[in-house]
Amino acid sequence: MYRKGKQFSKIWMLPCFAAVFVTGVFGQSDPPRPQSHPLPVDRSKRPPYTKKFPAIYIRERSTNEKSIAVDPNVEMKICVLEGKLKINGWARDEVRVFVKNGSSITLKVLEKNAAGKPVWLRVTGSTGPGDQPSPRTDCLSGENIELDVPMRASLNLEGRVTETTVDSVKKVAVKNIGGNIFLHNITGGITASTYEGDVTVENSGGQISLVSSTGNIVAFEVSPGQIGDIFRAKTSNGAISLQRVDHRQIEANSISGSVLFNGKFLSGGLYNFKTSNGSIRMTLPVESSFQIIASYGFGSFNSDIPLKTILENVTSGGKSLHGMIGAGDATLNLTTNSGSIGIKKQ
Amino acid sequence: MNGNCFEIGTIQAFLDGETAPDLSLKITNHAAACEACAHLLAEAEDESSVVFSILEREFDSLVPTQRLWSRINESIAVEKSHNPFWQKITFALSALIANPSLAVAASVLILFSMFAAVWNLRPDTANDGNRDRAAAASIQRTEQPATLGIISNERENMPQASAAEVYSVKETNISPDKLRKLVTDVSYKEAKSQTGPQFTAVRSSPASVAEYLPGEESYVKTISDLKQNLDGQKDNILNPSSRVAYERDMAVVNDAITKMKEVVRKNPKNQSAKQVLYASYQNKIDLLNSVAEREELMASLK
Repeated sequence: MYRKGKQFSKIWMLPCFAAVFVTGVFGQSDPPRPQSHPLPVDRSKRPPYTKKFPAIYIRERSTNEKSIAVDPNVEMKICVLEGKLKINGWARDEVRVFVKNGSSITLKVLEKNAAGKPVWLRVTGSTGPGDQPSPRTDCLSGENIELDVPMRASLNLEGRVTETTVDSVKKVAVKNIGGNIFLHNITGGITASTYEGDVTVENSGGQISLVSSTGNIVAFEVSPGQIGDIFRAKTSNGAISLQRVDHRQIEANSISGSVLFNGKFLSGGLYNFKTSNGSIRMTLPVESSFQIIASYGFGSFNSDIPLKTILENVTSGGKSLHGMIGAGDATLNLTTNSGSIGIKKQ
Repeated sequence: MNGNCFEIGTIQAFLDGETAPDLSLKITNHAAACEACAHLLAEAEDESSVVFSILEREFDSLVPTQRLWSRINESIAVEKSHNPFWQKITFALSALIANPSLAVAASVLILFSMFAAVWNLRPDTANDGNRDRAAAASIQRTEQPATLGIISNERENMPQASAAEVYSVKETNISPDKLRKLVTDVSYKEAKSQTGPQFTAVRSSPASVAEYLPGEESYVKTISDLKQNLDGQKDNILNPSSRVAYERDMAVVNDAITKMKEVVRKNPKNQSAKQVLYASYQNKIDLLNSVAEREELMASLK
């Protein structure tokens, strides 16, 4: 039945289309009527744009303080929703937590050593009824949050919008969505990342990885803890400034920001600096010894220190230079798409 | 004719060239032998010359003669016989359409034809028997056969890898299971301009695969996967200022990739350009990754 109907319709289609054509040709005699414009929309009556953000569950906003005796090598996990976080290492085997105008404090011992002292501790904030974790969050929040921890403590911090300052601890891993990160005197390595903020590291050592999406990265007087430690810095549109970074392997990468290096290249070191359209500037001692492998696409290259050119290609879009300064002990890889590369004397 | 002589009217017609050839020959022979007729002919000729000299202006003006009229009519008739068929129909129908009742009938036909067209162009979903056979259709390439490659929604920065190729569909005995193996992705779309369903399969041709640099394909695939995961979520993850910064960085990276691809295309041996191109790909991956990681962190802090 369906098929017959379809055939029937096919047979009828030809004369029908002919009729459509004829009427289409002769139907042009009357000019088309102008279409009436739609009524103007009163935009003032539209509901206002209201994006609802999840409310942070805080039972009470008060000033609280708690402390606990711990192993000197304690490992701590801390979550902070909002507030100014300051962590300081001290010479006691004790953890003290202070929250001003914020959530209450809960210290959860996850593991103890043989002596019964906590080696793994979790610092949480608001709790629900019966001291149970809140249904929303168990992170700390407050106007000011301060922690004193043993100097050999290792910290794992997570935060939403926090300005984080850590001083004089062994190891730090910090990650937040927004807010600047300041790290000083960290001896055993740093992993820091923020999506909206600057990262500053000073007088620290170990393997270091610094990441920022929209902020700058500054590292000053940084050294490796042991052989093979790598220094990594990566930002999307901020600048990377490295001064006296003594790692033998450094990787610095920015998309639209610049990379600045002021220091010296160590023998056998490997240094990779990359930008997309930012500049790469290096200030080096005249007696430096390294070989340069530079790919600078549509950019430019300039060196105040005389270098021996081994191979050079000046084709637009594919510019490259392989040169050597001194004996060429270290290796410097420079990559930029359209930025400029400059080497200056210290 | 008076005796053997011709009348003055006939002689006048002879002078005007209006007599028949036989009669003209007779008049000429007779005038040569008959002195009276020769005299008459001479007089008539003199009169004619006088009249023609006086009426010369009037005779010079172009007046269509009977022959000219007949020739014009003949040409019109020939031209009419060569008119196209549709023009004749148009003329005939124009006369018919002037009738209101016929106009109403034409509009009914239009409505019916529209209904029939819509019904006929509809996908054949109701016919289960045909559906099985359609499932067993083999997909034959219009060009040379190709190996299956990656299928990706990533349009930008893919060197012609995602160009859709249209395949013709024929009925065959290949089982649907085999077909599923053969075709990694078949998208179905209803084409308005065609009367039946149209199947298009997206696959990369060997030529496009060959256009990838060594290692480039993995970059492109990774970017494609990441983009697919993030599409539509960026507004939820990034606040406006971060979104602006992200888009700006992405534009910078895309620009670098485009430029470097062009350079590499011109000179495939340029290792420096390749290095910058790979670095740009890596930057793009890092950018996309940063958004994904941010989403993870936001979720963990809720």
